[in-house]
Amino acid sequence: MVKLRINDREIEVPEGTSVLDAVFHAGYDIPYFCSERHLSPIGACRMCLVKVGTPRKGPDGEWIKDEDGRPKIFWFPKLMAACTTRVSEGMVVDTLADEVKKAQAGMVEFTLENHPLDCPTCDKGGACELQDRAYEYGLFEKYYTETQNGLKKVLYSRFEFTKRHADKHHKLSEFIVLDRERCIHCKRCVRYFEEIPGEEVLDFIERGVHTLIGSEEWPLPAGFSGNITDICPVGALLDLTARFRARNWEFEKTPTFDLTDAAMSAIWVDSRSGKVERIRAREHPEVNEIWISDAARFGHGWTKEGRLSRPLLRKDGALVEVSFEEAAAFLSERLSGVRPEAVGLYLAADGAMEEGYTFAEAAKGLGTAHFGFENATRFPVSALPAASFADLLASEFALVVGDPAEEMPVLYLRLQEFLKGITPAPRYFHGTPIADLRLEERMPRRPERLATFAAYPTRLFAFAGVRGVYAPGSVAALFEALLAAMNGKRLPEVPGVSEEAIREAARRFLEAEARTIVVGAEVLDDPEAAQALSEIARAKGAHVIAMPPAANARGLELTGLFPEKGAGFGEPGAEVVFYYGATPPAEALRGARLKVFALPALDALAKAEADLVLPAKTYYEKRGLVLNAEGRLLELRPAPTAPASAMDGIEALAFVLEAFGKRVPARSVLEARTRLHERLKVPLELPEEGTLFRPRVRLGARRGGEGGGSLYLRPTMWRARMLKDERVRRALGEPRLYVHPETARAEGLSEGMRVEVATPYGQTPAVVALDERIAPGFFQLPAFGRGTGRRVAHRILVPSGGAA
Amino acid sequence: MGFFDDKQDWLEIVFRNYPPENRRAAVMPLLRKVQQEEGYVSEEHIREIAELVGTTPTQVRGVMSFYSYYQAVPTGKYHLQVCATLSCKLAGAEELWDTLRAELGIGPGEVTPDGLFSIQKVECLGACHVGPVVQVNDEPYVECVTKERLKALLEGLRAGKRLEEIELPGSCGHHVREEEA
Ligand code: SF4
Ligand code: FES
Ligand code: FES
Repeated sequence: MVKLRINDREIEVPEGTSVLDAVFHAGYDIPYFCSERHLSPIGACRMCLVKVGTPRKGPDGEWIKDEDGRPKIFWFPKLMAACTTRVSEGMVVDTLADEVKKAQAGMVEFTLENHPLDCPTCDKGGACELQDRAYEYGLFEKYYTETQNGLKKVLYSRFEFTKRHADKHHKLSEFIVLDRERCIHCKRCVRYFEEIPGEEVLDFIERGVHTLIGSEEWPLPAGFSGNITDICPVGALLDLTARFRARNWEFEKTPTFDLTDAAMSAIWVDSRSGKVERIRAREHPEVNEIWISDAARFGHGWTKEGRLSRPLLRKDGALVEVSFEEAAAFLSERLSGVRPEAVGLYLAADGAMEEGYTFAEAAKGLGTAHFGFENATRFPVSALPAASFADLLASEFALVVGDPAEEMPVLYLRLQEFLKGITPAPRYFHGTPIADLRLEERMPRRPERLATFAAYPTRLFAFAGVRGVYAPGSVAALFEALLAAMNGKRLPEVPGVSEEAIREAARRFLEAEARTIVVGAEVLDDPEAAQALSEIARAKGAHVIAMPPAANARGLELTGLFPEKGAGFGEPGAEVVFYYGATPPAEALRGARLKVFALPALDALAKAEADLVLPAKTYYEKRGLVLNAEGRLLELRPAPTAPASAMDGIEALAFVLEAFGKRVPARSVLEARTRLHERLKVPLELPEEGTLFRPRVRLGARRGGEGGGSLYLRPTMWRARMLKDERVRRALGEPRLYVHPETARAEGLSEGMRVEVATPYGQTPAVVALDERIAPGFFQLPAFGRGTGRRVAHRILVPSGGAA
Repeated sequence: MGFFDDKQDWLEIVFRNYPPENRRAAVMPLLRKVQQEEGYVSEEHIREIAELVGTTPTQVRGVMSFYSYYQAVPTGKYHLQVCATLSCKLAGAEELWDTLRAELGIGPGEVTPDGLFSIQKVECLGACHVGPVVQVNDEPYVECVTKERLKALLEGLRAGKRLEEIELPGSCGHHVREEEA
């Protein structure tokens, strides 16, 4: 620890702390633009200048003393940038001196010199760091001038100056627009791309006053690009999904969690007039730091499209709006005489634990074996011990089987940290360090720390020392081979992966002191693979981070909504089905006589098949508990965007059960949570950042449902419902059907050919893309959250007039 | 075909100067090579260089655009760079620029129809005492460029003379000393 003085306060901070963080730690404020949490400090904006002095030692090794006998302070001849200056023992920092104030005001003035004053039409207005800092640290009252009629006019600058003009609407992608006039050249966005997702796609172009932000890419690669709209200190980089939707102070800002994937990043839901307008990252130091994926940020358009506010009942073949009374009467009539054990109750992957509990209890009450949640894997993820992202950072080696960039995007960013050997930073009074001097631009990523295998070359491949592409369906063989290699046994064959790669991965794994294994949906869906993985983790010692395709898989499994027999979410079997929040593949409805859905909006399947549709809430609008991939219990908070009559899962289920004349296990979130508290010791009150909750769970793997077709569904961070949004569709382009050239030849397909692919989830257009790196004999299509990592049956239809 | 396809030996020598993990440092010599031989660096060149040194095209563009030496659009056989910074401006660089534009009938980024000339304003060339200064390609500076001297320069170049063969009217020296003398 280092002792130093900030103005009048003596503080102690860890060695290596920047003066900037020391100042904030002491409870003082200084302005800054270029520094940002988790980015390297570069001292570019000169906004953080402070007066710094240190004591010195004489030749005798003793502190040089002043007249009063105290160590004499030698002030640096110039003001220092607090962000790039390291603290030292006995240092004295003055942030209140006149010269500091003058420097701050001067820097504000310089920065504003070329900044357009279009704040009234700028989406950042009211939440702009430059506005705030100019207001707090500018000294404009000094520059008053008299106008002719005797009135005083405030000037923001002493200089007469023609402002620089530049492109104001430079689209970087379908999601992000750049205003080059507003840019203050802090370089946050440039550093972000290189340092966080590891893609150098933005840079300063030109020089001096002409400098602008530019890219040779169109569009910016989607995945993690949206974070630059959060960190841009001004309104230069803006979220196009929220363009001109509201002023910042008009938004209702709800702090909750993203349930697109199982990492459950902390987010702000900004809504206005009952609509979700914008999603921003919210800081959670352990989970997502200050980043979220593009899918989590830009994919919210579906919450606005075609929201249902009243029940829809099928009459003469068409769905028509009816009253709740009529819906209830319809249900009672159709449910009378139905055998309770023939009823299936199903919940969406983003259902809360309270809902899961109510569904599971209701199924128990009915005596039915048909229940479950969307995207449940055959091997229950809770049967694997949970590990935190911090455990990954503390490891020396990681074995990744799957595609974190798509399956759990923020984990991909944590893997980037892991590759650079960055461990969690110390926490200060103000939280995360703003200028963490351990971080540098272009820190080398160390490939020897990572081995990765997947069914196709993933983004992570570029950073891995050992990598291999296996044929879909061979993950069990892969883990068995890895185990055999670790035990010095003969290796079983793994289609597509060389023995050498497996031996090398096993060797590095064993050599490392602390290890983490990351696995995706494909492994969880293959009980044999998951068993072999557990065996490795247990016998050799490793943390396991599993990326289940259902966001709240851990939470829902815990409530008992994991069926061991009976028809699961996507399987036919029940005669009467009730789906809340999501629809299954059409095949699951085979043999069902009564089909009831509760959905925020209709989808194709509901339109074609539903007998009754109830209006449902989205997860943005619910209260409830969720358990992320790390086993971290988090609490959802509702944004005020649901139509008044939209029901959460508990209400909708109660509506159905009542019409059926059956017992309702819980009528409110609070009641369900109290039951969960009694049964599972789930805490009733949670801290803001949640808490680790990892009870032991005894669940067996499910049999059946192996799939085994030749269409492999690739994980994607985007979900099918997000594709309702025209902008998302434009950004993603048409889905690609990846095939090995050999297979393509055999099937009469060629690069760029447009086809239609019929899958269990419906028919989709696709463009053929040849890739000789993937296994022949398979087709690969983006899953969009449905059937992730599975092999399913399919048919390829070449439209008439096509080349085949 | 790539610009560097037939220059593998040259590349090897250049790359030898940099540690393999820092091959991106070679972006400058590669850019210079292209600029010298092609007169400008195209989008395709940028992609090729990025590929060769293992970085992104954006990074190459960033480096390239920092230096006024590199041209993004084709230039004439003679690329005339007129210093437009303070000392030269005081010595008449603006008028010189206007004359040059009128004389050649082109603006920055354009090439005369005969393919001979292109023009560009640049920042201080470091020869302020003999302004206004014009630099032709990579050659030594042409100093104290008055209208007459400019005309002679253009004529000489049009006649296919090498720069040092061109006779420029009038004299040029240290202004201050001249006045003193
Ligand atoms: S665009 Fe924004 S984040 Fe990027 S350099 Fe400019 S001001 Fe900074
Ligand atoms: S110089 Fe920008 S924050 Fe210090
Ligand atoms: S100002 Fe022209 S050479 Fe310096």
